[in-house]
Amino acid sequence: MKKALLAVLLTGLFAVSGLAQVYDVASDTTWPPFEWADAEGNLLGFDLDVMRCIAVLQGFEINIISYDWDIIFDDVGIGRADIGASGATITDERELKVDFSAPYWTSDQAVLIRADSGLNIVTALSGGYTVGAQIETTGAGFVQGLLDDGVDVILQEYTLYPLAVLDLINGNIDAVIQDEPASQASATAEADLTVAGVIKTNENFGFFVAEGDPEGLLPLLNDGVDQLKALGAYDNLVRAYMGTDLTKVEAAWKASIGFLEEGDVVGFALNLATLANQ
Amino acid sequence: MGFFAFAWSILPDLLHATRMTLWITSGSIVLGFLVGIFLALGRVYGPRPIRWLTGGYIQFFRGTPLLVQLLVVYYGLPPYLASLGIQISPLAAAIIGLGLNSAAYQAEYFRGAVQSIQSGQMMAARSVGLSRVRAIRYVILPQALRLVIPSWSNELIYSIKYSSLAYFVSLTELTFVGKKIALHTARTFETYVVVAAIYLVIVLIVSRLLWMLEQRARIPGLGVPTEHR
Repeated sequence: MKKALLAVLLTGLFAVSGLAQVYDVASDTTWPPFEWADAEGNLLGFDLDVMRCIAVLQGFEINIISYDWDIIFDDVGIGRADIGASGATITDERELKVDFSAPYWTSDQAVLIRADSGLNIVTALSGGYTVGAQIETTGAGFVQGLLDDGVDVILQEYTLYPLAVLDLINGNIDAVIQDEPASQASATAEADLTVAGVIKTNENFGFFVAEGDPEGLLPLLNDGVDQLKALGAYDNLVRAYMGTDLTKVEAAWKASIGFLEEGDVVGFALNLATLANQ
Repeated sequence: MGFFAFAWSILPDLLHATRMTLWITSGSIVLGFLVGIFLALGRVYGPRPIRWLTGGYIQFFRGTPLLVQLLVVYYGLPPYLASLGIQISPLAAAIIGLGLNSAAYQAEYFRGAVQSIQSGQMMAARSVGLSRVRAIRYVILPQALRLVIPSWSNELIYSIKYSSLAYFVSLTELTFVGKKIALHTARTFETYVVVAAIYLVIVLIVSRLLWMLEQRARIPGLGVPTEHR
């Protein structure tokens, strides 16, 4: 009995030594359209599918792990996960802990309000109203900046963006500030919510790895994004995820993931974009 | 920046957040005390339906995770409360959530204390003409509340630490602000050491106060009842 147990343990230990290198990808999978889990627990989203496509092109495997946003930079920074793919804006502060890839997406902030609130983007951010954001995001940083400049606004921070959106729907806060595609996704999913307006912040999203890139991953990631763009797959992933209906995207993803399992990056992205926009 | 200079620089923000921690703790412990007393008395002296109800309450709140209860109060109930015109603030949600949970635990401490008082005392009180309610009020409770202090101080100390869960309902209490500072400064270890030290100081002060209360409230001869049997 004991020997059998030992055998099981040992196989478990050495099972990882397969053919392709496997990298752990950390992602706060609560933030559509960049990364989220559908009802069946499938992890999908723009960042994750870009990562999956890069993995196919570069010949490694990835294991996506759902992470809390507030520890993701620390954990990738000390190597608990190999790659971070979590809609992360490249900032100087974060550069202290991790190394970023070349920018793969440029984003702006958008303010989400209740459609019946009568607020607009100016009043929502300066009329003494409460604005929600996830802790330690650039959205929260933007409101903090307003506060530091003496603007009359209240910042309420959440561990997760969905909780902030829920609090907005429940009427406990007046607005939520987050990256534009995420705000658009919330407004599409929730009939009561609408996007009051966009603030051009021109933030660059990057994938990130431990400081100093000890595993030499950044060149692979940067080259992977370039290849995806050259193949046209990148544009199709943008078309599939940005501004589309999340329920449609989820169905499209399930119908398309087979392409990726066969290594067909171009077919996957094209099929996903076509179905998501039908 | 050295550790002490760093600790000193973040202390004002942390102490400000400590006020919120103390509000949450005191609010929930008071709510839990009031509800808990009635639960305990209902469970010991109530008629059968009351005993079942209070027992059910205690089992429910002890048997489900505190965090889940908190999330239900703050994020789950508002759509239903909104139709009644009730809005619930994060602080109110935290106090209600933590307080109702604490009530279940406090009720069990109180029940233990009430039941540790010999049943003969109730009979004696009744025989000299006190009603049942008055007997509880003037004979049982004054002794039970003294006896419960040592075990009850556990609950108070737990409450101080459980108040950190309130950051899930977006309250800027000590742990949440510590987390923000840790993320912002990238000095995770130092920040949490300071946060832990603040909790420790609060707990030490509270323990000391409770010990003093225990000494003051002591009745000579009571408190070690088994010796006299």
